[in-house]
Amino acid sequence: MIKNELKQFFNLSFSLAKSEFKLRNEGSYLGILWYLLNPILLFLLLFIVFSKNLGANIESYDLYLFLGIIMFNFFSITTSESIWGILSHKTIFKSINFPRSSIIFGTVLKHLFSHLFEIIILTGWMLFSGVNIISILYYLPVLLFFILFIFGVSLIISSLLVYFADISNLWDFITKVLWFVTPLFYTIDPNSNASILNQVNPLYYFVTAGRDVVIYNHLPELNIILGIIGFSLIFLLVGIILFKKLEKKFTENL
Amino acid sequence: MERIIVNNLSKSFKNNTRSKNFLARLVSPSIKEKKEKFCVLKDISLKVDEGEMLGIIGKNGSGKTTLLRLIAGIYEKDSGSIKLNGNLISVINLFIGIEDRFPMKENVYSLCTILGLRNKEIKKRYKQIIEFAELKEFEGVELYKFSNGMIQRLIFSIIVHCDFDILLLDEVLEFGDESFKSKCIDKIQELLKKGVSIIFVSHGLESIKNYCNRAVWIDDAVIKEQGEPSKVVDAYLNSLEK
Repeated sequence: MIKNELKQFFNLSFSLAKSEFKLRNEGSYLGILWYLLNPILLFLLLFIVFSKNLGANIESYDLYLFLGIIMFNFFSITTSESIWGILSHKTIFKSINFPRSSIIFGTVLKHLFSHLFEIIILTGWMLFSGVNIISILYYLPVLLFFILFIFGVSLIISSLLVYFADISNLWDFITKVLWFVTPLFYTIDPNSNASILNQVNPLYYFVTAGRDVVIYNHLPELNIILGIIGFSLIFLLVGIILFKKLEKKFTENL
Repeated sequence: MERIIVNNLSKSFKNNTRSKNFLARLVSPSIKEKKEKFCVLKDISLKVDEGEMLGIIGKNGSGKTTLLRLIAGIYEKDSGSIKLNGNLISVINLFIGIEDRFPMKENVYSLCTILGLRNKEIKKRYKQIIEFAELKEFEGVELYKFSNGMIQRLIFSIIVHCDFDILLLDEVLEFGDESFKSKCIDKIQELLKKGVSIIFVSHGLESIKNYCNRAVWIDDAVIKEQGEPSKVVDAYLNSLEK
């Protein structure tokens, strides 16, 4: 029974993601390039501005910055879209009973496809800069936990939006705060006072773990590893429980 | 075999004036919240057998659609029990799962997946679906270019080609031209013969009389009358005249 439900869940998520992804990239010759242009341009801008000051002491600042941007991008684009996942599907929610969270997971998968293209660009770049590209394989486990984390956050914010209409404004603000708090284009000495903020910032753990394995070719420190596992599982669990609990009343509030 | 058994089902909605604004609640928690309960269904009991089509009639707002949503598991019941023997598909709205910007083919695939079909099976049935809907030449056309009638035809066709034992229909036969309507009715008869059970909510009293085996009249949250369709329809009409 549960096996069948899970099967339908993944089947549905995947097929929704596939058709949305296909649709987005149809009708323009540049297709996926348009999506990739955004992080690349942002990267160029920040690189030009910061490479001589904030990034001067960071090893391989170009890869450091690019990986940070695409990981943050994956998180912020996915959550800002999936927050509307339930509200924008209210007709179908009120008409058919089906695994509703697959709509949310479909959005995560759709942006995962784009993220993979960014990873391909990163790999090409690493090849170009002479970094060992085998290390990209070690990104996979980090990415897996990152996906679980993003899915959990998406479940939480999308179900809260049904009850609190202004959560979306709040979320815009939170994303902006995270963009500055997470060391994406700068670095923080782990022993300084400013790093205290990062102890509670889940994105810090994921981005650091990603950089450690991909760029610097070493295992992340134990607290980072525990951080990504802990944060992803906690958010996923809270997300699933909250969604399951609120799901039954969604339809009456849509 | 009984496909649907509903016993003493009750449902009420909360009609509260609570603000949906998080900030507003935070800033002024003292704003008075009025909570009213609004009873939609009270002590509803009914049964539907294998191969039987049950019609439900009643005024607007009498709780017909809520009853379907409760049976389909879309709403949570307050009390009572609902027992289902078999796979259920509900069609409360014929514009479900439509992504306007997608071409027809994508829409068929995603709606079929939502309704529980696997990719392999959809591939097999795809041709039948668009042939039944008479939309063969529009395969790659985006749905926003379709007329309402075309979309309804498509969705109806998708639904009847899925696998189910119980079908809940809400006001969905009142579309399409006469020839398509009779095709739908033939299809429904065919499904009934296969043992599918159908609950059919409609204001089309003639359809209820002609196609249903039994009818239920819901008024003010309770069942006023049930039994022979023509009798129930007459009772309903009488009450309207009063």
